[in-house]
Amino acid sequence: MLEIKNLHVTVDGKEILKGIDLSIGAGEVHAIMGPNGSGKSTLSYVLAGRDGYEVTQGSILFKGEDLTAKNVEERAAAGIFLALQYPIEVPGVTTMTFLKTAVNAIRVARGEGELDAVRFLKLVREKAKPLNVTDEMLKRALNVGFSGGEKKRAEILQMALLDPALCVLDETDSGLDIDALKVVSDGVNMLRSPGRSMIVITHYQRLLDHIVPDRVHVLSGGRIVKSGDKELALELEKSGYADYAADAA
Amino acid sequence: MTMAARNIKTGIAERRLIEEAGAPGFSHAGWFDKARLAALDSFEAAGLPHRRLEDWRYTDLRQILEKRLTKTEETSGRSDAPAGLLDAVDAYVALIGAEGVEGDFSGLPEGAEIVPLGDVLDEGWVRDAMDASVFGDTDAPQAAAIIDLNTALLGGGVAIHIAHGVVLEKPIHLAFSGNGTRHLRSVIVLEEGASACVIESHQAGANAFSDFVSDIRLTRNASLTRIRIQNDDRSAIHLASDRIVLGEGAVLDGFLMTLGAAVSRNQSFVRFTGEGARATVNGVYALRGSQHGDHFCLTDHAVPGCESVTLYKGVLDDASTGIFQGRVLVRPDAQKTDGRQANHALLLSREATMNAKPELEIYADDVQCAHGSTVGELDRDAVFYLRSRGLDEASARQLLISAFLDEVFEAVTHEGVRDILRVIASEWFVQERSRHHE
Repeated sequence: MLEIKNLHVTVDGKEILKGIDLSIGAGEVHAIMGPNGSGKSTLSYVLAGRDGYEVTQGSILFKGEDLTAKNVEERAAAGIFLALQYPIEVPGVTTMTFLKTAVNAIRVARGEGELDAVRFLKLVREKAKPLNVTDEMLKRALNVGFSGGEKKRAEILQMALLDPALCVLDETDSGLDIDALKVVSDGVNMLRSPGRSMIVITHYQRLLDHIVPDRVHVLSGGRIVKSGDKELALELEKSGYADYAADAA
Repeated sequence: MTMAARNIKTGIAERRLIEEAGAPGFSHAGWFDKARLAALDSFEAAGLPHRRLEDWRYTDLRQILEKRLTKTEETSGRSDAPAGLLDAVDAYVALIGAEGVEGDFSGLPEGAEIVPLGDVLDEGWVRDAMDASVFGDTDAPQAAAIIDLNTALLGGGVAIHIAHGVVLEKPIHLAFSGNGTRHLRSVIVLEEGASACVIESHQAGANAFSDFVSDIRLTRNASLTRIRIQNDDRSAIHLASDRIVLGEGAVLDGFLMTLGAAVSRNQSFVRFTGEGARATVNGVYALRGSQHGDHFCLTDHAVPGCESVTLYKGVLDDASTGIFQGRVLVRPDAQKTDGRQANHALLLSREATMNAKPELEIYADDVQCAHGSTVGELDRDAVFYLRSRGLDEASARQLLISAFLDEVFEAVTHEGVRDILRVIASEWFVQERSRHHE
């Protein structure tokens, strides 16, 4: 699904990622953990194609194609979905309007044709219910005045509607209380499927109690310094990142 | 009187305007000819407004009109969409040009009239509406010079009268088009309890110079929705001054959209003369290239208990310039005034300029007033966010710009017209979209 080789990325002329190698098979869930400033969010933005993140060396292949040749919306159509740590507030655009525009843009790009209003509504209702996203929320401007939990639930709803092949969850647990964490994690778990891979970026092991990963990687100083199975996350929870930070420095 | 023969002391631009006008567009032996001569005298004395006058500091009309005389420009184009879209509104359409007023008004209900201004100058309601003394000292000399120019060189116009209690269901659409130099006036009078919606569309041709004055009087409990869409050729110069008086309990729902002209100046003077009246003076401007759009709004709370809202939002692309000058004046007697005024602009280019000067002048103590002004750029994080959900860049920008402007469209109470205004605005984005795909 995703093959990252020797990836070097600079932001504002400063090298943040210094040779990442990462291979994710179809249906796999990989967790990326690491201290602040290790390059976790940079990795997520590079995958999504944000401006200002320059690949200076290495390659990213997604479903066998060079991802770096595609712009942001082409990547979205190809099946990359980034759930943001801080979803952006968009005043004046209702959540429902936004969802419809996004779903239809992606469908058209994938050659599937737009959904009519009735079919779209049915689809939204079906996906929104388990995430506890109410009609009232859908009528509000996108993310405006949403609580931390509501924003993350709205992100997962978008993920469910856009049917991506690779989900990148950037610190989806931040700002969530235990109950909200459970709703969001259950929503993510429902989307796990043999054809869909996930990268779960987090500081904390607790999210991985809910979304159990196949592999765990420790990112520090712009490199993956250790990889293991889900036990590695438990280990980190005890020992902290201090050892890895020292290694990288 | 032959105007060209008069001894004119003022500059080249003023002389040219007077010569261009030639003989008056219609003759009138009575009070109006006296008014015309008096206006000509004071226009000659004051000349065109220029940047040393505070209210004109951003729009040096004298210099602009001097330049116009020495420069022949090609047509800069404009979208035909607004005219086409407005045709879809079921309305009484009046075509207004220097030649007169054309249209089929046979369906107008009794008590509603649309007539050439020159035919009704002697009627009391017209004369009263054109009498600016009600504005007292707020009709600042800077503005007066422009109104004098219009009075002195008036070539025609339209007068609308809606009688006591008459409610006009269908809107009236005044369609202004034409070329060259035109000085036209609209007089709109709604008697007690009358209600109407008047749409004004402007589509002047290349290099046109248009000078409009609208004298609007809303008598007790009258209610007017007024929509003004300026879509002149982008080489034209457009001046528009509204003088609006609201009596007790009257309601004005005003909206203007500035899309066209190389240089435009819209002046709105609103005065409350009766308690409990409410005026909304909103606007949207969308400019590109080197367009220059100046919006000047003065709201005069002369009596207690009135409410005014002024909300302008603009989008400026390329090297365009937007100007907003607003003043809310609350006189000592005007207790319980609620006055709000704001301008918000979005710059789509580093070369675009916004000048905003919102002012409150409050002499009463028991009032609620607020003003605000912001200038910003499109939120890059938001553009990325929308693109990451599959929207292409142009669609993401369009969605964000529409969302930014929508608050002003939302305030238009006439539903059918509101939807058409939104489509007209989106037409502007279609042009933006094609540019960003180049």
